[in-house]
Formats: sequence, C-alpha cells, structure tokens
Amino acid sequence: MDTSTRASVFADPAPAVSDRRWDALRRAARARLAPFGAAVLLAAIVVALAAPLLSPYDPLAQDLGNVLARPGRGHWLGTDNVGRDVLSRVIWGTRVSLVAGFVSVAIAAAAGSVLGMLAGYAGGRADGVVMRLMDAVLSLPPLVLALALGAVLGAGLTGVLLALGVVYTPAFARLMRGQVLSVKTRDYVEAARALGASGWWIARRHVLPNAATPIVVQASLSVAFAILAEASLSFLGLGIQPPAASWGSMINAGRGYLQQAPWIVFGPGAALFVTVVGLNFVGDAIRDGLDPRLRG
Amino acid sequence: MVTRRDFVKSCAVASGAAVVGLRPGAAAAADAPKKGGTLRVGFYIEAATMDPHLSGSKVDRQVYHNIYEPLVTLDTRLGIKPGLAESWSQPDPKTLVFKLRRGVKFHDGTDFNAEAAKFNFDRMKTEPKSIRKGEVANIDTVEVVDAATIKVNLKKADASLLATLTDRAGMMISPKVVQERGVELGRNAKGAGTGPFEFVEWVKDDHLLIKRNESYWNKQGGPYLERVRYRPIPDDTVKLQSLQGGEIDVIDYVQPRDVAAVKTDKNVMVVDVPSLADFAYQLNHGRPPFNVKALRQAVAYAIDLEQIVKGVWLNVGYPANGPIPPTSWAYDKAIPPIKRDLAKVKARLAEGGKPGGFEFTMTTNNIPLSVQEAEVIQAQLREAGITMKIRLVDASTLIFDGNAKNFEMISFQWSGRPDPDGNVYQFFKTTPGTSFNWSGISHPPLDALLDRSREVSAQAERKKIFSEVTKILQDELPMIFIVHPIEPKAFSQRVQGYEAIPDGMMRFKDVWLK
Amino acid sequence: MAEVVLRRLLATVPVLLLVTAGVFALLHLTPGDPVDAMMAESADASTKESLRRELGLDRPIAEQYAAWMGRLLRGDLGRSIRNGEPVLENVSRRIRPSLQLALLAMAIALTIAFPVAIASAVRHNTGVDRLGTTFALFGICMPNFLLALLLIFVFGVTLRWLPISGYLDPLEEGWSGLRSLILPAVTLGLALAAVITRTLRSSLLEALAEDYVRTARAKGLSEWVVIRGHVLKNALIPVVTVLGLQLGTLIGGAVITEYVFALPGIGRLVVDAVFARDYPLVQGVILLIALGFIVSNLLVDLLYGYIDPRIRLR
Repeated sequence: MDTSTRASVFADPAPAVSDRRWDALRRAARARLAPFGAAVLLAAIVVALAAPLLSPYDPLAQDLGNVLARPGRGHWLGTDNVGRDVLSRVIWGTRVSLVAGFVSVAIAAAAGSVLGMLAGYAGGRADGVVMRLMDAVLSLPPLVLALALGAVLGAGLTGVLLALGVVYTPAFARLMRGQVLSVKTRDYVEAARALGASGWWIARRHVLPNAATPIVVQASLSVAFAILAEASLSFLGLGIQPPAASWGSMINAGRGYLQQAPWIVFGPGAALFVTVVGLNFVGDAIRDGLDPRLRG
Repeated sequence: MVTRRDFVKSCAVASGAAVVGLRPGAAAAADAPKKGGTLRVGFYIEAATMDPHLSGSKVDRQVYHNIYEPLVTLDTRLGIKPGLAESWSQPDPKTLVFKLRRGVKFHDGTDFNAEAAKFNFDRMKTEPKSIRKGEVANIDTVEVVDAATIKVNLKKADASLLATLTDRAGMMISPKVVQERGVELGRNAKGAGTGPFEFVEWVKDDHLLIKRNESYWNKQGGPYLERVRYRPIPDDTVKLQSLQGGEIDVIDYVQPRDVAAVKTDKNVMVVDVPSLADFAYQLNHGRPPFNVKALRQAVAYAIDLEQIVKGVWLNVGYPANGPIPPTSWAYDKAIPPIKRDLAKVKARLAEGGKPGGFEFTMTTNNIPLSVQEAEVIQAQLREAGITMKIRLVDASTLIFDGNAKNFEMISFQWSGRPDPDGNVYQFFKTTPGTSFNWSGISHPPLDALLDRSREVSAQAERKKIFSEVTKILQDELPMIFIVHPIEPKAFSQRVQGYEAIPDGMMRFKDVWLK
Repeated sequence: MAEVVLRRLLATVPVLLLVTAGVFALLHLTPGDPVDAMMAESADASTKESLRRELGLDRPIAEQYAAWMGRLLRGDLGRSIRNGEPVLENVSRRIRPSLQLALLAMAIALTIAFPVAIASAVRHNTGVDRLGTTFALFGICMPNFLLALLLIFVFGVTLRWLPISGYLDPLEEGWSGLRSLILPAVTLGLALAAVITRTLRSSLLEALAEDYVRTARAKGLSEWVVIRGHVLKNALIPVVTVLGLQLGTLIGGAVITEYVFALPGIGRLVVDAVFARDYPLVQGVILLIALGFIVSNLLVDLLYGYIDPRIRLR
C-alpha cells in the first residue's frame, strides 16, 4: 500500500475544522443577547482577577463596632454580622465562584470524556460497567451525592470541586460515548481500521474533533449550573472554609439576618444571579453558533 | 466583666419577676390563673425517645420534666428541693435514705412506691441500652426499707449525686408500663409518668401532645393548661417568626442576633434564662503545638473574651472564668476571666520557643454562631502574630474527632449540669481511653482536688475546692473557656406564670394562658 | 413489550448494586458513627461499645454490607438507628409532604408554562416571545435558595401574608395546609416552569414548522385551532419526558427548599440522616429514591415509545 492512498483514505471528509469554527463564531456573535452575556463573563473574569485592586476593604477585616450597617457612603453594600464590608466580600467571592464553575466542569469533562471513549471503544463488558456506573451516579439526587462526597473528601473548596466533578461526569461520559459510537460505524473509519490505524489515532483524528462541539456546548451550559451548585453546597455549609467568602456561604450566613440586614443575602445573591444569567447567554450563544440544529 | 449588679438583676428576672407574670411590676392579683387552652411549643429538633433511661438528647428532657417527675428537683437558685421524695437524709457518706411521697399514682393508675423506685434504679443500672449507667455508677444497691422509704448504698461518697437525681437519672417510670410495653415505651409513654401532664400521642416529625393530669398529686397551683403541643421547628428564623406570627406560643431559644429585635416586639416576651452551660475550646495536650503550656497560654492571652461576648454573643452570655457558670453556688466571682494582654502573648511565645508566632488549626461546628466566633478569634490571634486555620465539620465528625483526640483546638459546648461536678469532673480528671477529657490533661494535683470535691459534702468547702480547681484550669488550660450563654426563651403575651430555672428546662405546671 | 420491560428492569439491578455499595462505602468512610451522634452528651464508653455491638457496627464493612443485602433480599429495609422505627415507616411518613409539594409545584409550573410557551411560540420572534424566553432563562438561572429567601422576605417578612413555618397537611388542615405549601411550591414551581416553558416552546416551534400544519393554515384554520387540534398533542411528548424526569428530582432533590421552609420531607430526611450517620436510613432512602428515579425513567421511555412509534424501545 502506498502512502498516497492511505493518506486519501484517512483524509477528513468533512470541511476543515478551522473553517467551521470561524462560521460558528460568526453565528454565535449574531445570537441575541450574546453581547450582554459576553460582557457579564468578561466583567466577572476581570473582577475575579483584579479583586485585590477593586475591593475597597480587606474582605476579612472585621469591625465589631459597625456590624449590620446599612448600605451607604462608606460601605456600598453595607456590612455583615462581624462588620466586614459586603461589597469587598462579593468581589472576592467572584474568584471562588468562577474557579468552582470552570474547574469542576473541566474535571467532569476530562473524566467524562475519558470514560466515554473507553466505553465507546472497548464496548462489551467495559462499556456495560462504565455505563452502569454512570447510571448509578445519575440516579442519585445530585445534592445528596455531593454532600456525601464532600463529607468524605473533607471540607474546603477542593472537596467541592471533586464532588461537583463527579456529579457532572456522567453527562460528558454519555456524550462522548455517543460520539464514539456514531463515528465508529462510519465508513471512513471502518476503512481506516481495516488499513490498520490504531484506535488512538482514529480517536484523535476523527472522534475528538467531532465530539468537541457537543462537549464544548455541554461544558459551557454546565459552568453556570456548576456555579449554582457550588453556591448550594456552600449554602448547606460545605465548601469554602471561613473566613473566605463564597456567594453561597455569604447567603447562608446572611439567612438569619434576613429581617434586619437583607443586603447580606441580596448583595451576593444579585451577583450570583447576574453571573449565572450572563453565563447562560454565553452558553446559548455558543450552542447556537456551533450547532444551529439545536437552536430553539 | 460581669458586675454583681448585672448578675443579680438577671437572676431576679429568672426567679422573682417571672413568678408574677412576665412583666416585672405587673400586679399578680389582676390575673388569676385560668384553666384550659393548648400551649403550642416550638423546639429546635424532634425528641428522640420517651424513655428517660435510654435518652441521650437534651430536647427529650424538656418533655420529660412535664410528664415524669424526679425524686428531687431544682429551685430557681439551683438548690435541691423535694420532688417525689419528701425528704432525704444521709446517715453516713455512703448512704442516702429517701422518704417517698405517699398517695402518688402513675398515670396508668398504679402506685408509686419504694418498689417502683427500686425498679427504676435497677433498670438504669442493668438495662443494656441504658444511658444513665454512667450517671448512677456510684450507686451500689438500692434497698426497699418500707413502702415509702428506700435506702441507696453508694460505692463511694458522692456529693454530686443528689443534683444528678434532679434530672433523668431520678425520674420514675411506672414498672407496669416498662414490663408490659418494653421497647415501645420509647414511642408511647401513656401511663408511664407521675407528672402534672400525661402523654397522649406522638406523631413523629409533626407534634407531640400531652394533656393535663386531672389526678395530679400536688393540689397547690397547676396544672392549668388543658394540653401542651410540642412541634419540632429546626430552623431558628422560622421558629421565631412562627412565634411572632402567633402560630406558636413558646420557643425554647432565641438566637443572640434576634434578641434585641425581639425584645422590642410587643407581641412577644423574652425571658433571659442564664444557663448552666459552658462553651469552650479544648486544647490537645498530646500533640504539638499545645503540648507546650506556654503556647496554650499565649493563645489564651491573645483572645479577647469581652469582644467575643459583646460582638458575637451580643451580651447574651457572660465571659467565662472557667467551667462553672455564674448561676452556680460554686461560682467564684473573685477569679476574673483571662484578660487579653498582647505583651504577655509575646512573652509566652518566646517562652514556648515560637517568638515569631506559630500556626495551628481550630476544628469547629458549621453552625453560624460557631463560625462567627471562630472568625473573630482568628482575627484576634492574627493581631497577636498567631495564625489560626479554621476547619468546619458537622456535629458527628466533631464528636468523633474529639473522642479520637484528632484535633489541635476543638470547639466544645457543654449544656451544663446543676452540680458543678457535672461541668468539671469528667473533663479534667486523668482518664485513659475515650472520655470527655478530650484534651488529655493529666495533672495529679487537679485529680486529687476533683476527687475531694466529691467526697466532701459541705457546700462551703466544696466551693473552696472548686475555686482551687478553677485557678489550676486557668493555668494549665485544658480548655480555653469563652462564654456561659444565656438561653433567652420567648413567649406570646398570653402565656403567664412561667418560672425560669437555670437548667433551661421548661416546666409548664403553673403556666396558664390569658 | 413485557420482555423489554423485564430486560430493562434487570439491567437496573447492577446499577442499584453500585449505588448502594457506593453510598455504603461513602458513609463508612466519613468520620463519626451514629452511636457518637446519639450519645453526644455522654462519654460512657462501655454503653457505646455495647450499642455498637448490637447494631453490628463493629463488624468489617464488607460483612455489614452483606448483612444489609441479606436483609434487603428478605424484604427488610432495616430500622433507623436514631428513632428505632422501620425505614419504610420513616419514608412513608415523610413522603407525603414531598409528594404534595412536588405535585403542587408541578401544577403551578404547568399553569405558568403553558400559556407562556404557547404565546411565545405563536408570537415567535416578537416582544412576547422575548419576554417568554427571558422569563424562562431567569427561572433557570435563579438559584432556588435565593428565590426561596426572596419569597420569604417579600411575603413572609415584609407583607406577612403567608406562613413560612413548617408544614400543615392540606388533606387534614385544608386551606391552612395549602397556605403552608404555597411559598415552597412557588419556589420549585417557578424553576420548573422555566424548564417546561423552554421545552414546550421549542417543541411547539418544531411542530409548527411541520407540513401538516402548513396545510391546516392553508385551509384557513386559525392559529389557535391549529395548535389545539394538531400541534399541542405532539409537542407535549418532550414535556411529558421532562415532567417525568423532574418528578424524581422534585421529590428527592428538593433538599434546599425543604430546609429553608422547614418542611419534613424526604430530601431533608436523607440529609439529616447523613449528618447523624444513620446508616440504615440513608441506605434505605437512597435505594428507594434511586429505584423511584429508575422506574420513572423507564415509564417515561415506555410512554414515549407508546406515543411515538418512531421511538419505540428496541
């Protein structure tokens, strides 16, 4: 077999990936509300990175003489129950939320993709085992699972990231497996395999690029939910350790002061809501851009 | 620093004024007790069992003190007064003789007598699941002298036993009910007690109902209420708002953060009940850094108790000088709580070999108040050059780590006992194995004092011993004592006649609804 | 058909095994055990030891799991360590509030979602549509604990119209019971409405683009008749799917809502049991929840296949 024939068989029948990506970007940009979403995401990233510069006070600085102060000149979002500036804590909390969102989804996407590819390729028993495992994780209420994992992994952000990673892995695993299965049966792949191409090579050349799209879509939609999930876990008392601030733990701590000092709850609450909405817009835009068929 | 005036005032609220009705100054004659009505009570968790011998939870006791009665009971100054036992005497240090009240019947109609009392003590000691075993460990045998007299033989002299018998360990259950119902007693206590109220029903997670005992032996005063209905409301905010909204009449605890606001609410009355509790942090003497006494003292001097009680507890509590609360006769107000002194911190750090400061981890409960306190302490220590990390765990893990001595500094909240021994002995006596001596302190002079405090029966002398103990504790620091919390209880305006006893138990015998 | 169902059910057995084994392992890896939690105020080591022995907690983990499995196969889910009652009894007591909450939330969700989704689909790409999609988006993005606190703040604290304390059974207490469920049901219902709105709107749009619809329009039928007569039925399929899946989530997963509103439901039962290390209760409830989830998935798939022969299960 000469190399030219091999190359042509292995040639990608779909248009070059880079072309598609450019189209995608253009479509995404046209999606309604995308600019708003992008602005929010950008703002969140900037705030997270520049927290030390933007934050008017040290988020840990307590002032027991000025607790539960109303929002006003000195403190735009008031102070909390130990006199800390709420605005500063909301600003610093952006870091926690963004890290929680992106890192946990990254973990889930990576783990899920590996598992999905394994299942799709190996087939048979391995496939069965992996998918049963994923079903098992899915059939548990996510919060309970995260709680139990968190209790074992110990308190702290790392525990939360791992717990959330586990909770979101099945979605990616299923996605990847589906991709592998559909690509596996395509003619050019069969041919490639007949010619002796290794599974690994096929995966890199055909599966991954095709799977990239739905994985990215899923990931972008998941980040917003991961941020919500971290907030929920912090709300229940797991997650970020004091005195560090996370929007969820601030809302939890502020719950008891709802009547006297609602700003402790609604300051971080508003930040959480706006960020999640913005991320959702971005996620929708990405989805619309990359896969117009999915558009609602 | 708690001034004498403050303390006396609070006791006055707790004892004197309360009997008149809840507003100091309200004329007693204006309102004569009325019979009838259902008192709706909100507690923070569901009761666990209706069997006092098997009970380990504080909420259970609240119900018990209304349907069961102990041999002896507490007055508002923590003195011991007669309960089901009319009188008692101590012929020698190892013998207690109780003369029991005659004519008392259990709710099921059977008689309360010496046989029944003996039955109860035997059950506490021999029932496999009995949680009272430790409390009655010093009791050797109980003899029936006659139908209304029992003789309790002790293994060693124990001056704290009487106080222990004012709670679950002294409560009398009908032997007939125990024999007939066995394990079911945990869920159904019909006919089992002798108290002013009797058990009606318990619908778990919903409510527990008790009703007036029409044939209660004590004809003085109540019971006036027709029924009392307990509801578990785990959320403090919801509980308070239920009270303010008129859905319930009584709550057992108001969070410090809500106290000031609730006191201005005209629909609600707040009674500050100084408790027996002591809240502290245990320091692990068995591992670095707190195996070094100087470093323990450094932390103690770096903490500002006044600021914590003022800023975190909002003065709903007293800075602690040791494990014994101000409500106790054994409290020594001449010993001040440890005062913050940054100069002394420096000196101790140097002495302990860490002149530049050091780092450690504090393990504490993930409830809001504990978290807040930890954060404040962290900031205070930071100023003194000591770095403290906070590790939040849930209650089960906390207990586990404490018992396993897997901590450096750990939160410890003891609800307190009427006798000072209950706040002291088991925490500081040298004890191998698992015990509440989480710090692992082993200090022979302290051990000797603790043992003596049980042998001696004269209060004045015991008080001197406990003062010595407190001084040693402030030096050796198995625990850093923070606060003796006040447990504010809140009532709707209709509730009259509540008498606050520092053990925090809500007894409704003489309570009535306007 | 029966064979398919049976095969699916059998396939769930290994899943359930994995779930229960996983939960078992997780629980026993967490520090602390139920005896410590129950006897928090007593350090009596000997009583604790004998309690542990009686509960079988001193056995190796594998043996405990096997014992639990054995009892399970005989139909015995065990007893809660905390209150000594059979797990099934604990669950049946707590399932009522959860079910009522879930059903009420669904009712609220459907009442909101249908008009909004239909209006959005019919007035596609107009202001109404934008409003509808925005509402749906906000509903999905709003953290439910925040929404709960918001509702409490407005209706409970400021206006004082509705109770925020605990639970009264509507079947027994009628209107008061319903009032106690309104705020939590709205919290859950709004989020659910958002999801349903999205699904219904997109499936309506898809259905509206079908040929037979164009024919109907060409025949001169009004938009509304078209939708009611032809489109709605088909568009409902994905909605049914969503509802079916959400029911499982609503019951077992409304943990936060139950916490914030102090409702004695299943979600809180599990979480409290985890905190108290009440192993049999956690195991039993998780098993039931997982089972319920799997069964409802199966039912939805079957229903789906029944309605739309194109998607019949193979």
